[in-house]
Amino acid sequence: MLETLHNLAIGFSVALSPPVLLYAFVGCVIGTLVGVLPGVGPLAGISLLLPATFGMDATRAIVMLAGIYYGAMYGGSTTSILMRIPGEAASVMTCIDGYAMARKGRAGAALAIAAVGSYVAGSASVIGLMLLAPPLAAFALRFGPPEYFALLLFGLLVLAYMSSGSMLKSLAMAALGLLLGMVGIDQMSGYFRFAYGVVELGDGLGVVPVAVGLFGVAEILATAGQPVPPKVIEPRLRELLPSRTEWRQSVGPIGRGTVLGFLVGIIPGSAHIISSFVSYALERKLSKHPEQFGHGAVAGVAGPESANNSATSGAFVPMLALGVPSGPIPAVMLAAMMVHGVSPGPLLIRQQPELFWGFIASMYVGNLVLLILNLPLVGIFVNLLRVPYPYLYPAILAFSILGVYAVNGSVVDVWIMLGMGVLGYVLRKLDFETAPIVLGVVLAPMIELALRQSLAMSDGHYAIFFQRPIAATLLVVAAGMMLLSLRTFIRRGLDWRARMALAEKGES
Amino acid sequence: MLTVDRVAGASLALVALFVLWESRTLPLGSLANPGPAYMPVLLAVLLLVGGIAIAALGGPTPPLTSLAFPEWRHALAIFLACAFAALALERLGYRLTVLLVLLFLLGVVERKRPVATVVFAVAFATGTYLLFDTLLRVPLPRGPFGM
Amino acid sequence: MTVARVVFLLVLVLMAATPFAAAQESFPSRPITIVAPFPPGGVADLTARPVAAAMEKLLKSPVGVVNKTGAAGAVGMQSVAVARPDGYTLLLALSSISIIPEADKIFGRPPAFTVDQFAPIALISADPTVLVVPADKPWKTAKDFIDDARSRPGQISFSSSGVYGTLHMAMELLSHAAGIKLRHVPHAGAGPALTAILGGHVDALASGPAVVLPHIKSGKLRALAGWGDKRVAALPDVPTFRELGYPDAEFYIWAGLFAPKATPEPVLAKLRATVREAVNDPEFKGAMDKLETPITFKQGEEFQRFFETDARRLAEGVRKVGRVDTK
Repeated sequence: MLETLHNLAIGFSVALSPPVLLYAFVGCVIGTLVGVLPGVGPLAGISLLLPATFGMDATRAIVMLAGIYYGAMYGGSTTSILMRIPGEAASVMTCIDGYAMARKGRAGAALAIAAVGSYVAGSASVIGLMLLAPPLAAFALRFGPPEYFALLLFGLLVLAYMSSGSMLKSLAMAALGLLLGMVGIDQMSGYFRFAYGVVELGDGLGVVPVAVGLFGVAEILATAGQPVPPKVIEPRLRELLPSRTEWRQSVGPIGRGTVLGFLVGIIPGSAHIISSFVSYALERKLSKHPEQFGHGAVAGVAGPESANNSATSGAFVPMLALGVPSGPIPAVMLAAMMVHGVSPGPLLIRQQPELFWGFIASMYVGNLVLLILNLPLVGIFVNLLRVPYPYLYPAILAFSILGVYAVNGSVVDVWIMLGMGVLGYVLRKLDFETAPIVLGVVLAPMIELALRQSLAMSDGHYAIFFQRPIAATLLVVAAGMMLLSLRTFIRRGLDWRARMALAEKGES
Repeated sequence: MLTVDRVAGASLALVALFVLWESRTLPLGSLANPGPAYMPVLLAVLLLVGGIAIAALGGPTPPLTSLAFPEWRHALAIFLACAFAALALERLGYRLTVLLVLLFLLGVVERKRPVATVVFAVAFATGTYLLFDTLLRVPLPRGPFGM
Repeated sequence: MTVARVVFLLVLVLMAATPFAAAQESFPSRPITIVAPFPPGGVADLTARPVAAAMEKLLKSPVGVVNKTGAAGAVGMQSVAVARPDGYTLLLALSSISIIPEADKIFGRPPAFTVDQFAPIALISADPTVLVVPADKPWKTAKDFIDDARSRPGQISFSSSGVYGTLHMAMELLSHAAGIKLRHVPHAGAGPALTAILGGHVDALASGPAVVLPHIKSGKLRALAGWGDKRVAALPDVPTFRELGYPDAEFYIWAGLFAPKATPEPVLAKLRATVREAVNDPEFKGAMDKLETPITFKQGEEFQRFFETDARRLAEGVRKVGRVDTK
């Protein structure tokens, strides 16, 4: 323990020197700028700018990359809150309540809460990373396909708490999303499914074009032509910061989101995406005012944003402790570190403690610099809302096209975004919610692969799910929760019919 | 009578039937060894049931005719602008495409003053290109003459 | 009405602009794009970026990398196959370039591209895969492994980067050479495949040496044999399958630079000369060194021969695997 502190002190003494801080700052600025493009998140940001760091000394390069990483993570929340464009799948939940807050004139508060939530989550999970990395990593590796399948079932349970409308409609939308997620090459057999000769559909519908289309583009299609354009919000200085009540409302969600995200994040794979969905569901379940969700609930921003951020930090646990590229973002970070001669893994902490602790310290510093950079920027970002909508929406559209195109350099993605925009527009008119579709698209390929991998491992015996302790426990808990939510389902179903009866009488 | 939910439910059921029809060429596999068509068929059946249920319970919802699309002109124009952008992006390059899209949306759809339109469109197209492509090295397509 | 007219005009402009190609001046007069058909952080991406950086210095003109991912690399490869053959769009391909058209054939699809749509520029690296098993498994040698696999066909499992992916093909070539049958658990990429074996969820993995080396050193994994024609430098005690009497089990994960077929010869010559110099760039060497990927540089005749032999072997491998739905 004492040794840890000593090492950390060395790490900080490196990371806090003025030139290194400057690199952290530059990294954060670049990351925020790149992250504002929908879809261009930490993944693309780091790899685009990696060659620029080739000539640098390892510490500076890694500090700068950590800055880019945190900046790009945060950039996505900005667009979600201000323009309803999810920068990545994990920001979808932020789009719902963050944008609702912005429309109510609380954009500054939402941005500040997102920034502070991300900072708290990022810092806390770095501490978790530092103290618990080796034992946690060993545990995380025990998550094979059967455990993963059981975990993802939780993702589906989230549906019960996700929407404020009819449960039946949510389920249908989730089924539609899951079906959309089936497009592309079947990873187990190599068959092309529903691709109609379009090679670009081989990897399926990207989550980013789907989310940007269903949320961002659909919003523009529906709003731009309204006879009375959305009123220009003129933020006053006093309103930039969250009020005391808003702070109080966000403390619990930030704490819970951090822990939840970290735990989901350490599991290898892409499960970290579901952390923000699960956090949203959790907050709504715990909230005394679940009816506020979807209409600008503070907890609906604070929880998912924190969960999202700590999940990606949690994903560094297996990478640092074991050298396993446990997900797309750690894989890029791992590669970036290896290019600079740092190879994470069990030997790193023992053989090159100064590098390991330097990395930990630089993550911490990157996170802090980001907060310092972003709180003042909230004031500037919020002023974007002063731009009259007829100027704002063409710019948002151009941004969406640019971002969605840049992720893969694929025009097909732009078409997908446009198609999903039209779908989202129509569904909105028909009173369907679109968030379950995004969840479905995210979950479908992962659930299917995990199920079929498990069966390949066991030669077709479903017993594999009950012979493994983690999987069995998760399944039992999931089944219990499913029964509980069934109760809400029936109750809400009645509500819905009662509402319709009222509508029939012409009372609503 | 055609109500909103009846039509929506029926459309979802149709989508499900379409998926079932399209899955016929893929091997279904078995419960122990699910093939590529297994999950899609399972999900399509789920969607079919959901769609039928929505339609069946959808009697009391407002009639389809109550749906209003007052903004259809705008929506169509925006859709066409985006479709043009998708077609043009790799042929005309980023700058020209975005310039044309912005000129169209601001000048024609929103009827802003020509000067403001041109200034905004040119500044946005070249500014974002400079920032993202030149400075941040996000590769964006170029058109003829290196534009 | 005005809306319709403007749309019509825009379409006209669009169509008129398409055939214009920039006139061919001294090459390169504008930025070159290298397409890496796999996501950031993978072998293709990690080779492409240092190459691009080194070429940029030599050509004094920007060289960018685009990750055009999808369909196990087919998307990016196809995009270069049909790109304008002017030398401004290049491809950094891995071994899978020879596998994809064959897999398309098996499913009776029109192939996304064929290998003869590309003009090779240079081979940059070629790493033989090695067979690793978790250290707590009883197999001490490749012979133990193969004998055990023969006595219980279909019981020993292996993970791969995906069906018909490079890591799958390596294992299939071995299965055929040794006459054994293994249980395949495909994963979504090489990273997850490695995680699966470290977690003990599968029994074996064919992997590039660089990524498993730290785990062999730390005692988590054991290397049994390699697929190369000679032993891996970092693992001098690990024999090759050729030495063990399975000469058909030869497989490399290689990375090479290609241009579209019809690229003019002078442009190709310039590119080849540039890459030849780029691989000697100290920054490039340093980056590849740190990634523990030895540079295996081959050009012209030599690369062509390597490429063709490799393609033939893989095509045969894919045909032997056939469709996987018939178990």
